[in-house]
Amino acid sequence: MIKSRTLSMLKVGMIACFFIPSSFVLAQQSQQLSDPQIASVAVTANQIDIDYAQIALTHSKNSDVLNFARTMANDHKAVIGQAVALVTKLKVTPETNAVTKKLLSDAEKTKKELEQKKGKAFDKAYVNNEVAYHKAVIAAVESLLIPETDNAELKSLLQNVLPALKTHLSHAEMLQKMIAK
Amino acid sequence: MKNLIIAFNRLILFAFLSVTIWSCTSPASESTADKQEESTQIAHQTHLVEITQMKFNPEVVTVKIGDKITFVNHDMVAHDITEESSKKWSSSSLQPEQTWTLDVTESNNYYCSLHPVMKGKIIVE
Repeated sequence: MIKSRTLSMLKVGMIACFFIPSSFVLAQQSQQLSDPQIASVAVTANQIDIDYAQIALTHSKNSDVLNFARTMANDHKAVIGQAVALVTKLKVTPETNAVTKKLLSDAEKTKKELEQKKGKAFDKAYVNNEVAYHKAVIAAVESLLIPETDNAELKSLLQNVLPALKTHLSHAEMLQKMIAK
Repeated sequence: MKNLIIAFNRLILFAFLSVTIWSCTSPASESTADKQEESTQIAHQTHLVEITQMKFNPEVVTVKIGDKITFVNHDMVAHDITEESSKKWSSSSLQPEQTWTLDVTESNNYYCSLHPVMKGKIIVE
């Protein structure tokens, strides 16, 4: 059973640091995150990468970038599917919270920036963002979300997602080197 | 008395011939064929490669020509198995818990074209 629980101000601040600008850290220091809120953050983080992939699929002509974007969309959809199945089984609704909202607002800015770029400039910006984004999400999941999640099944899901996130990062870094040539 | 001896001799002869014929008939031949088939099956093994945690396990498989390798995807995302040098062969996309079997004809390096950092190797000895 998912229990509502509290993260300390420091822990919330650390989560915010991984996902979002430091200005948001100050705004979120009084927030409390429960397992349903952590589930919301996880689902939102996956959906954001799907949204980035959709932009890449309409803006890039590079076959390697397109292949990567298709994989990101499919894999993160699969993760969301697993998360939705779990919270449905547990009869818990992911709870939107300040971190979720800030993630979404930051993603909107990034999406606007990406949509203004074309050709190689777009490919470079998209792949660079994927490297940075996956690094941030991996750090947050590994160091904070997993240790701070109470429900064993939610914790297990987060643990199972980590290898995919790390593979995505390696794939993005490989693309980064290819594009730089 | 003489007739009795002749009848007894015929009975012995019949019994001998029956045993001889029985030992040479199909059950023994089938047994030999079964053994040959069994021997062939032992010679051509099916190896298992499990895809877990975004890796091929084991990453290196040593096989004989004619062996098969069955890949099973235990991950939550789709994968494929594609020959690396020139994409000579490739599975279709394997959804979670789906399997695909390769008939091995030569040594190959392979990878997942969806996640190109995932790699494996087949060594024919």
